[in-house]
Amino acid sequence: MTQKAIDARRPGRWKRRAWRNRYIYMMCLPVVAYFIIFKYLPMGYLSISFFDYKLLKGFSGSKWVGLKNFADFLKGRYFGQTLRNTVALNLMSLVMVFPAGVILAVLLNEVRSSPLRRVYQTITYLPYFISTVVLVSMITSFLSPSIGLLASVCKALGLPVQDYMAQKSAFRMINVLSGIWQNTGWNSIVYLATLTNIDPTLYEAATVDGAGRLRRIWHVSLPGLKQIVVLMLIMRIGSLMGTVTDKVLLLQNDLNLSVSELLGTYVYKMGLQKGKYSFATAVGLFNSVVSFLLVISANFVSKRLSDDTHGIF
Amino acid sequence: MTAIGKTHAARRVRKPVSEIVFDVIVITVLTVFTLCILLPFMNLVSISFSNETAIMAGRVKFWPEGFSLASYRKILHTSSILRAYGNTIFVAFMSCALSLLMTSVAAYPLAYGDFGGKKLYNLLIMFTMWFSGGMIPSFMVMRGLGLIDSLFSLILGSAIGAYNVLILTSFFRSISRSLVESAYLDGANDFKVLFRIVMPLSKAGLATIGLWVFVGHWNDYMGPLIYIKSIEKYPLQLILRELVLEASSSGSMLEMSEGNKGALPEQLKHAVIVFSMLPIMAAYPFVQKYFVKGVMLGSVKE
Repeated sequence: MTQKAIDARRPGRWKRRAWRNRYIYMMCLPVVAYFIIFKYLPMGYLSISFFDYKLLKGFSGSKWVGLKNFADFLKGRYFGQTLRNTVALNLMSLVMVFPAGVILAVLLNEVRSSPLRRVYQTITYLPYFISTVVLVSMITSFLSPSIGLLASVCKALGLPVQDYMAQKSAFRMINVLSGIWQNTGWNSIVYLATLTNIDPTLYEAATVDGAGRLRRIWHVSLPGLKQIVVLMLIMRIGSLMGTVTDKVLLLQNDLNLSVSELLGTYVYKMGLQKGKYSFATAVGLFNSVVSFLLVISANFVSKRLSDDTHGIF
Repeated sequence: MTAIGKTHAARRVRKPVSEIVFDVIVITVLTVFTLCILLPFMNLVSISFSNETAIMAGRVKFWPEGFSLASYRKILHTSSILRAYGNTIFVAFMSCALSLLMTSVAAYPLAYGDFGGKKLYNLLIMFTMWFSGGMIPSFMVMRGLGLIDSLFSLILGSAIGAYNVLILTSFFRSISRSLVESAYLDGANDFKVLFRIVMPLSKAGLATIGLWVFVGHWNDYMGPLIYIKSIEKYPLQLILRELVLEASSSGSMLEMSEGNKGALPEQLKHAVIVFSMLPIMAAYPFVQKYFVKGVMLGSVKE
């Protein structure tokens, strides 16, 4: 700081300051190069959505088509379908997966024995670490009418055994329930940490006032969680257009395609399987821009709602 | 399950009945949920150790029926799986090392630097959290670099993540500033300060990020799906999908099913799944606290 003040009074301070920071700049150099090559160059390649891009000819050999690719997508029958599926899937997980984490945190906070709580935590966090391929394999195995656990439960209860993977109507539920199974424990971490930071005197005061456990949750725990829940909720709304492409791609089959084709999976199929690079990039760009606007507005809202120091980004 | 609830409640004999009832309900709900998570894992492992007739009869629940190690023995003799394992280990370790080095170098100027262009540098990194070129443009760049069908596409493509830079910066900042400044006064340059003082003092932060990167690459499916073409370069997740989810008759399938073109036996499928998650699951209980730490830091970032 003092060095800065001295620099400011002398002529040629920029040079001096730059020289003093030469090692810092040497560190920035590979980092900046990395980001330009692997993150910003792809952004430049988004421009192929305005061309009829031919992989072997490059930009110079490809025809400029303006907004044709976007128009084709917006007019095509897949636009409505993929957009609807993407939003529906995300909304469903917002309504069901999101609250599960909060509820689990509140329940864990009520467990007084800490070894027991640690067992619950360790087990509920566990599924977060398995890969999507393993998750989908486990779903397939679980739902299998011949060897699956669900089938044996159904048989024991005298219910009809069904092949849910082959049912279009079950796809969204499978996706959301497996999301709850995999992510609830992990999502609860943030809330549980917030709960353990609540001033214990608040609980004591509530107890003195004659509040039972439920009323303490209602009047102390939940108000303490309000801010972080609202922040996480806004973040989640910001990613309403985001797609968990890998899981849905693996869960997809010919039978559920009409509800399981998302923007992300459509981009993959059009671009990398069918080689329609420009069209797929246009779809991807549409998705990114809408997501970006959603995230930015979510961030704006969260900044206005929270203290200035607690903006999400 | 209720037994746990009862002993738990018994310790607080002086509590009113409503409190005990409440405890029992909480413990019951949590135990049921925890079992819902645990039992599918037990089922998976049990099937991988059971014989095929018991599996197909739907008799295998949470304990192996007709114990057999045949599938695991077969896996250890299947070169495509072992090669995929090797590829994944290579990618995960290389990524981990490169990522730790590059993320540290990226985070240091943000934590300690006072240089012209810092705001721009920060924006350059953080903007990538909100917006990215996406799948096809990234593919184009990798193609331009000649990295398609190379394991290095997976390693380089995600060497620095903006989010990890954010986490590591806050770790670096929590180091006592006087320590860093006294090193400067002793004539150490920024590289020496980073490698000799800051990084050794940030072991927990580096462990958090290193583990995330490792697990991320171990479990990555989309990356290899987009960039890797030839089967001998397939990492574990692609082989896994091929063997378990798709009954395609590619080379690796044929090798496993020995000319029988149908799907693999269920025992073998389940054994491959278990085998693929073995290292992560074995290490998980010991490194859990580092993962949790990363989440906490991420959520309180400025």
